[in-house]
Amino acid sequence: MTELLQQVVDGLGRGGIYALIALGIAVIFGVMHLVNFAHGELITVSAYAAYGLFAAGWDWWLVAPAVVVIAGVTSVVIEFVAFRWVRGAPDFTMLMTSFGVHFLVQAGFVMYVSANFRQFPRPGWIFETWKVGGVSLEVYDLLVILFTLLTLGATYWVLQNTMFGTSLRAAAEDFDAARLMGIRSDRIIRGAFALSGLLAGVAAVFWLMRSGQAGPTAGLSPMLKGVLAALIGGLGSLPGAVLGGVVLGLAEVLLISHLPAGLVGLTDGIVFLLIALLFVFRPQGLITVRRAERV
Amino acid sequence: MRIGVARRVVLPVAGSLTTYLLLLVGGVAYTAIGNSSSDGLVTQMLINAIVVLGIQIYIGNTGVLSFGHMGFGAIAGYAFAVCAISPDRKAIQIPDAPFGLTEVDLTPLQSSLIAALIAVVVAVVIGLGLARSGARSGAVAATVITLALLFVVHEVAKNWIDLTRGGKTGLSFSPLGKVTLQGRGWIYLALLLALLAARLFKETRFGRLAQAAREDDLAARSMGIHPAVQQMIALLLSVFVVSIGATLRVFELGSINPRLFFFKYTLLTLTMLIVGGRNSVAGSLVGVVVISAGSEITRYLAGPSVDLPALDWILRNGLTDVFLGGSMLGFMIFRPAGLLGDWELDHWLAGRLAKTPASQLPASHPVDGHRSKGELHVTGVVVDFGGFRALDGAGLTAATDEVVGLIGPNGAGKTTLLNVITGLVPASGGSVLLDGDALDGRPSYLVARAGIVRTFQNLRLFPALSVEENIAVARLAVAGHLADRPQPDVELLLRVSGLGELRHRRAGELDYGNARRLELARAAAAAPRFLLLDEPTSGMGDRESAEMVHRIRELAELVRAGVVVVDHDLNFITGICDRVYVLDQGKVIAVGTPDEISEDPVVQAAYLGGPVNHSN
Amino acid sequence: MLEVESLTTCYGAIAAIRKVGLTVRAGEVVCLIGPNGAGKTTLLSTIAGLLSPTGGKIWLNGDDVTDWAPDRMLRSGLALVPEHRRIFADLTVHENLMVGGVTKASTKRAGLQDQVIELFPALGSKLGTSAGYLSGGEAQQLAIGRAMMAEPEILLMDEPTLGLAPLLADVVFNLIGTLRDAGLTLLVVEQNAQRILEVADRGYVMRSGEIVLDGLAPDLLARQDLFDAYLGRSTDPV
Repeated sequence: MTELLQQVVDGLGRGGIYALIALGIAVIFGVMHLVNFAHGELITVSAYAAYGLFAAGWDWWLVAPAVVVIAGVTSVVIEFVAFRWVRGAPDFTMLMTSFGVHFLVQAGFVMYVSANFRQFPRPGWIFETWKVGGVSLEVYDLLVILFTLLTLGATYWVLQNTMFGTSLRAAAEDFDAARLMGIRSDRIIRGAFALSGLLAGVAAVFWLMRSGQAGPTAGLSPMLKGVLAALIGGLGSLPGAVLGGVVLGLAEVLLISHLPAGLVGLTDGIVFLLIALLFVFRPQGLITVRRAERV
Repeated sequence: MRIGVARRVVLPVAGSLTTYLLLLVGGVAYTAIGNSSSDGLVTQMLINAIVVLGIQIYIGNTGVLSFGHMGFGAIAGYAFAVCAISPDRKAIQIPDAPFGLTEVDLTPLQSSLIAALIAVVVAVVIGLGLARSGARSGAVAATVITLALLFVVHEVAKNWIDLTRGGKTGLSFSPLGKVTLQGRGWIYLALLLALLAARLFKETRFGRLAQAAREDDLAARSMGIHPAVQQMIALLLSVFVVSIGATLRVFELGSINPRLFFFKYTLLTLTMLIVGGRNSVAGSLVGVVVISAGSEITRYLAGPSVDLPALDWILRNGLTDVFLGGSMLGFMIFRPAGLLGDWELDHWLAGRLAKTPASQLPASHPVDGHRSKGELHVTGVVVDFGGFRALDGAGLTAATDEVVGLIGPNGAGKTTLLNVITGLVPASGGSVLLDGDALDGRPSYLVARAGIVRTFQNLRLFPALSVEENIAVARLAVAGHLADRPQPDVELLLRVSGLGELRHRRAGELDYGNARRLELARAAAAAPRFLLLDEPTSGMGDRESAEMVHRIRELAELVRAGVVVVDHDLNFITGICDRVYVLDQGKVIAVGTPDEISEDPVVQAAYLGGPVNHSN
Repeated sequence: MLEVESLTTCYGAIAAIRKVGLTVRAGEVVCLIGPNGAGKTTLLSTIAGLLSPTGGKIWLNGDDVTDWAPDRMLRSGLALVPEHRRIFADLTVHENLMVGGVTKASTKRAGLQDQVIELFPALGSKLGTSAGYLSGGEAQQLAIGRAMMAEPEILLMDEPTLGLAPLLADVVFNLIGTLRDAGLTLLVVEQNAQRILEVADRGYVMRSGEIVLDGLAPDLLARQDLFDAYLGRSTDPV
């Protein structure tokens, strides 16, 4: 029982990160109908920024918030430079564009920084475990859960209680009607990218704490997990993205702990198989989003 | 028919062979004049060509963006390596391989084919998943799923050490990892076959139906096409070809590791496809050549032999990837169709060889075939959209020898009723009977095959396909499901619709009047029992509307179909309809001849509202 | 106040409206009637800035507003209540109204909302309700109220009685009169030609992307061939 509890907490720790990334992807998808494959580059950029700041002598207390801000800014820059040109284009074009951006940014890092991974220090104390009622919990996991809840809460607050958040929700539901009300498409899209970037930044902080390294492909794995989580949850649904992330994290941890040793490497494969089965039986994801099509 | 065979088989084969020879000659020439490394470059280029052709078969014909083809490539590559590497070598590298694979000793040819087959089996499973999720979430889901496949295969390859020896070392054919492929004979053969497969698939039934679905999924379904089937076939052929290319790649290199078939190779091959033109087989080859050349140039520039301090900031490691990413991005933004669009060499050949065919156009009389009088009987349809009742017990009856009109003010539910009949919208009550056969709940492509074909309020043609192909593909879609329904041939339809001269024009370039005519002709080509026309005169002036009356009557007589037409133009309705149903707020409020209902005060009130002023 | 000159808007190769011209003078109620597909929605959407015309000009109070975006039009006093209402079903009534006032200063919005509630008391008790749960009539009121949040001088309405029962439609027609009395200028697209002509000052009849008839409302109402012009029925046999 205690073991199960540990695994659940562990799973939530992972799931929290996936949920934040998935939410960032869902926000942009809701407004622009674009799956942003370049989302992972935000984590890569964050990784390099963190490396640079550590080299400059900063420590985690300063680096963490800096990373969040940097991720937000980078997201808006990417929109301005690349995605601005393909608004309203067919899905195929937008998907390829985001893929192209992903490669360009990655190549840029290889060219101007390094093709190799750079290490930076990981905060040792967060990997200690606390004993709570006989259960061993990693401080890291608790922190992730805490900050994920805080971030989600803050995001929810922004979406519900600010004019920006309300406008974003309106634009996600009916972009043209929102324009008609006087909402500026430029501003709302940039806002969506900024919000998405900030979410990725928080996720990046914790991802980097665990990985402790910066390299051109740092963002690839989390991006993919985030996109899958958003898809599991039902593309376009914000609560679905969060749910998808949590489910993904839990599934991973439970599989890792219950698979025989030789098959642990196949965790990702099995998770993927399960996701595929989910789609066979429930193609719209876990939460259905109302989206009408005019004939 | 002979013209058809020439165009669809002979010319494409001729064009492919020509392209092939050009490519080979170029390759041989480059090798002759180049240095030692150019030999390897050309070999790689030819292998890449096979892979890109494989990808083109899927992405080009279905329009679905798949990122996962390298996942299949990895599966095939590893399967090939495990089968073809000698047992001695395997005993050293993967002694604990499962299923006794260490003992397996097959020739490269056998291994290659088995590897491709294994990949195809996996593709069947993936294809089923794509079909299910694609129907709901569309193209995006397919892209994400295939991307996930790529990633997962990569992870498995890295971690299933017993089988793959892991990510750091991978498997190799010989201790020094030397190139094992002697001579390019197999590559030449595989390339030729891949080229022919890709080019000919475009002309097969599956390829053409897939292209129609690519152009407009909804319209394709309304013509009787089941996109998932075509996409699956395209996927399987595509994976087979890609797998052969992948095994050649492994064989040429003499080793395999997970990074060989991951993002970098995906980027390379996709960029080649995009730049050349994803809808063109010749384009794939052009893309391969252009990008190979560009990559080599950037590699050279970024290499040690070039020393230009002023450009040092850009001429460095990673330039090739920037070139690739930039090319992909640039083309998607500025020229998404690629360099060649959907042009093929044999199109040019066809243009040169075209003679005006002798005017053996058949006279415009109805096609032969058993045609009993049929009936469409729709009753009591109820449709609720959330809290709003769009149809409240509406219905109509039509026979195959009459034209029935369906009119009513905006929002009355006319299009919804058509949607229910054609299976696009579910009804919570009522029934749809075609010749006594209940159609309720059938998906739209089955309704079309049963004999009900519709046109759409917002014109839905297959824009990139020619006028002729639009009609031909509709004909193709229902062939085989026709029972005893006669099917007019393409020439006749072109002539009757007055589109003969525009036959080679792309449907997307037509002016409105001709576009509407094409829509009608295409619907007729599907040999319907009933034609359901949704506002066929919308946007037309009086003269054109009057002409439409004749056109529709002519086509309907040609295929002996009954017509149900929704429209607002009372002139048109009066001119063409035998009977008219008037719908208002989801209910039928009047039925009668056009004259009867236009005099009916109830109808006038429904349209104009308020108490009626005076009688006409 | 509003003048449209030779306006043409195309969807690809199709001209949805062709060289349309109309005038709306301050304080008038002008109606635009015609069958579906006539281009009425395209015309209003173009005027409001949602669509870009391919030819022609739009003048608002003497300014050339042809290429203005919707938010600029709102700030200049022109608002559109779109066809099918297009309220944000995922947002509450209050939030819908706030979005309607997005071009206004945030401090003013509360006051504007109060004014809208005065006009539509039924909305007052449902401020916290999700807009997707409103009845047809309430939804229409919300759509109009939302547009009113922008304090327009001229209000465009696209088929405001669409899908409403006759009793509720009556409410809308009365509302149009009330708004006019309050000083608002109105351009209304309506299906119910009879009723709208009773309320309007002038009318235009549109068919197949063009204006085919126009005049003072009472004159149009009295015409024998209104129904025919409306639906394109000519006296010549086909």
